Amino acid sequence: MRNAQVVPGALLAVLVLAFPYLVNGYWLTVGVLALFYAIVAASWALLAGQTGQFSFGHMAFVSLGAYTSGLLVMDLGVPIPLGWAAGVVLCAVVGAGIGYIGLRMRGPYLALFTVAFSEVLRIIFVSENEVTGGSGGLEVTPLFHTRSDAPYYYLGLMLLAIALGLMVWLTRSRWGLFFRAIRENEEAAAAAGVKVVRFRVLAFAIASSFAGLAGGFYGHYIGILTPDIGSVDQMGLVVAMAVIGGAESLFAATVGALLCEALVEALRSYGEWRLVLFGALLLLTIRFARNGLLALGFAGVKRLTIARAPANVAP
Amino acid sequence: MTAPVLIEARGLTKRFGGIVAVNGLDLAVRQGELVGLIGPNGSGKTTTINMLTGHLAPAAGHILVHDAPADGLSASQFAVRKVGRTFQITQLFSRMTVLENMLVPGLARPHSTWAEATATARRHLDFLKLSHLEDLQARNLSGGQQKLLELGRALMLDPEILFLDEPFAGVNPFLRDEIIVLIQTLHGQGRSFVVVDHDIEAIQRLVKRLVVMARGAKIADGTVDEVRQDQEVLRAYAGV
Repeated sequence: MRNAQVVPGALLAVLVLAFPYLVNGYWLTVGVLALFYAIVAASWALLAGQTGQFSFGHMAFVSLGAYTSGLLVMDLGVPIPLGWAAGVVLCAVVGAGIGYIGLRMRGPYLALFTVAFSEVLRIIFVSENEVTGGSGGLEVTPLFHTRSDAPYYYLGLMLLAIALGLMVWLTRSRWGLFFRAIRENEEAAAAAGVKVVRFRVLAFAIASSFAGLAGGFYGHYIGILTPDIGSVDQMGLVVAMAVIGGAESLFAATVGALLCEALVEALRSYGEWRLVLFGALLLLTIRFARNGLLALGFAGVKRLTIARAPANVAP
Repeated sequence: MTAPVLIEARGLTKRFGGIVAVNGLDLAVRQGELVGLIGPNGSGKTTTINMLTGHLAPAAGHILVHDAPADGLSASQFAVRKVGRTFQITQLFSRMTVLENMLVPGLARPHSTWAEATATARRHLDFLKLSHLEDLQARNLSGGQQKLLELGRALMLDPEILFLDEPFAGVNPFLRDEIIVLIQTLHGQGRSFVVVDHDIEAIQRLVKRLVVMARGAKIADGTVDEVRQDQEVLRAYAGV
């Protein structure tokens, strides 16, 4: 039984670590971007899936983190790690502010509010072209001066592992319990002594800071930042990734992002039709598997395992 | 010597638009009291509880907890001051387990630990005969079990005073008797209660002091016998 779990796990770990040596440059780039999306989708799942705050402005924080780091590095000569960290901190602060302003909003109202925030930020990045480079983009110093994407892949993998580890630790702590209590019933959570305002704002700040972390990584990987990274289209993609995987589970959202990014690229030859397929998959997930396809898959495997297990018959 | 006042409302008023839901209510509950709060639908009972537990802000008047002003405190701040409550319509964390439902208030208490909160939660679950269900999601409990879990969750705050909003609504007579015994046991341990319900028979069995509200105002406050003979109560409450 133990071997049945250890062997596939070890094989998967070897595959993940050897990935840059098993694929060509194109698929390695896809791998790096998939890791970026995985951090974003997991942090969105932390906010939407764990605390029930359906934000549509998460990619705005990705762009805020990316532009903050890019501008500090390019214009002020700040070292990349410092610029990157400043982006994370700024995202946490602005995230707390947005979380606080949106306290009285729920569901579609919060979603619309965060869409508006996202668009305002995007338009600022477009309009302030003397600072941000506008739609033409902002050139950003790369993290590594290598021809291969392998260092980015391993850094992305490490960031995902650390981010996911921190998020899982958080969800298993008392804060995580309070987040879920707020998601389930705010009034009851308050009656139970949970400081609802504090934890709603905290959830926004923490999730936004992870988005900023991913943004800094993205900016210094891609090398040129455009305001489109914070667009509603990009946000829709992240939401779809998390929902298809399973928005209430950090792991499911992560795997959902990795698989969806791979799927979108694998179907690239079908042009726009791949997005239609992607949309159909999202619709089917929402209709038939509200906890995500992975959760549905896990349940199916569990049922199959139970069905195949020999029945315990009394002698 | 009279027991100290745990919670007090002075001139409490709440308006919803043009409607005055509670109008200048004065009410004090002393340590160790078990008070029944009754009145026709729309008389302002739940609104009163909502204000006395921080879920609604009064339009006028003051609230004191242990003689200290509690105006403007949030629901969680009332909970920290050991003011607990249950809701008219049971409010649980539906997709969390029974034990997790109990742990939320346990861990929200300052300086609490997981081990201590878990032990306390299991003790209360045992008391409520819900121990065997601790790993079940709350939404899978029966209506009666949900009522008990909500009571258990309130107990996790180690409340000095508990406001129970319609604890007997929708429960079968056997469970109703069980809940009465539970409340009496908890009262015997020194906790104070304000019980709102329309089940007058159960209320009469449970409490010594009855407060009657009608049209947002307190119209009677006394022993069960005194209130039963009060003509204004008969007129306003029973329509006699």
